[in-house]
Amino acid sequence: MEITDDAIREVVLNAMRNVNAARDAASQLVVSAEAPIFGPESTLDSLGLVGLLLDIEEGLQEIGCDVILSDERAVSQKRSPFRSVQSLVSYVGTLARE
Amino acid sequence: MPGRHVLITGTSRGIGEALAEHHLAAGDCVVGCGRSKSALSHERYLHVEIDVTDATAVQGMFRDLKKRVKTLDVLINNAGVASMNAIALTPVETARRVMETNFIAAFNFTREAMRMMRGSPAARIVNLSSVAVPLRLEGEAVYAASKSALETFTRIAAREVAPFGITCNAVGPCPIKTKLTAGVPDQKIQDLIARQAVRRWAVPADVVNVVEFFLRPESSMITGQVVYLGGVS
Repeated sequence: MEITDDAIREVVLNAMRNVNAARDAASQLVVSAEAPIFGPESTLDSLGLVGLLLDIEEGLQEIGCDVILSDERAVSQKRSPFRSVQSLVSYVGTLARE
Repeated sequence: MPGRHVLITGTSRGIGEALAEHHLAAGDCVVGCGRSKSALSHERYLHVEIDVTDATAVQGMFRDLKKRVKTLDVLINNAGVASMNAIALTPVETARRVMETNFIAAFNFTREAMRMMRGSPAARIVNLSSVAVPLRLEGEAVYAASKSALETFTRIAAREVAPFGITCNAVGPCPIKTKLTAGVPDQKIQDLIARQAVRRWAVPADVVNVVEFFLRPESSMITGQVVYLGGVS
């Protein structure tokens, strides 16, 4: 069964909610389909990004999607597939359908 | 802390085999791997025949492992190969093979293992370096460079895995009588031992001792460190 973008988005947003539970009020991530994840508009640093991505990998595994989210563009501000919820969902979708 | 899930690379012989035996005796569940079969046979030992430099095979191994155990507590990157030769006489393929086994394999295993270690109460990564790094002996350029890469990797990985409660350290043995040192000329070994504060061969139990120190729950503040045997610095 092919995984849908909606299912991926739900996993990403859930992981962001989990990350927020461990962050103080001033550094909460915006949890929405249009939100930034990594870059100047986000409070997430590179180690925080790693934690979030590992949570997302786990969430994806639970719905039967086994992918490793490694990419050499990870911390590039313009080209990172992890810069926003939208770009991440699209990136995971591509990996899952490979 | 018996009952840990411990993954050790290169358990077919030598230090890796001694480490596996130690953890089995301590009551841990051990997954070992290497290119050849293992002489170890124990109800808590699983051996995977694998080329540790094959990233796809390593990924597959971890996929299978996740189906068997939820959490991994310890990763010991022990697999290693040596090449004692002058730079001018070393084929580039040999240099690649040494780097692939001693560094890239450790990188691959760490990258995969850290995903399974986040749920462990005392997750530990230990890398096997060598006194060849600080001693800078002629004829060991490629081998020492590969271990040097592993040491720098250890120090930076320590920072990257700390947020997940994982420590990452390295132990650098001085000469131990294993297959790895069997091909090194005796005079070379004696010269090397002469540069140690404690001038004798080490034994696998000396490595186990340092590894156990890193693995203790009380060692949660010990990370990014390299400990050499024999008083080499």
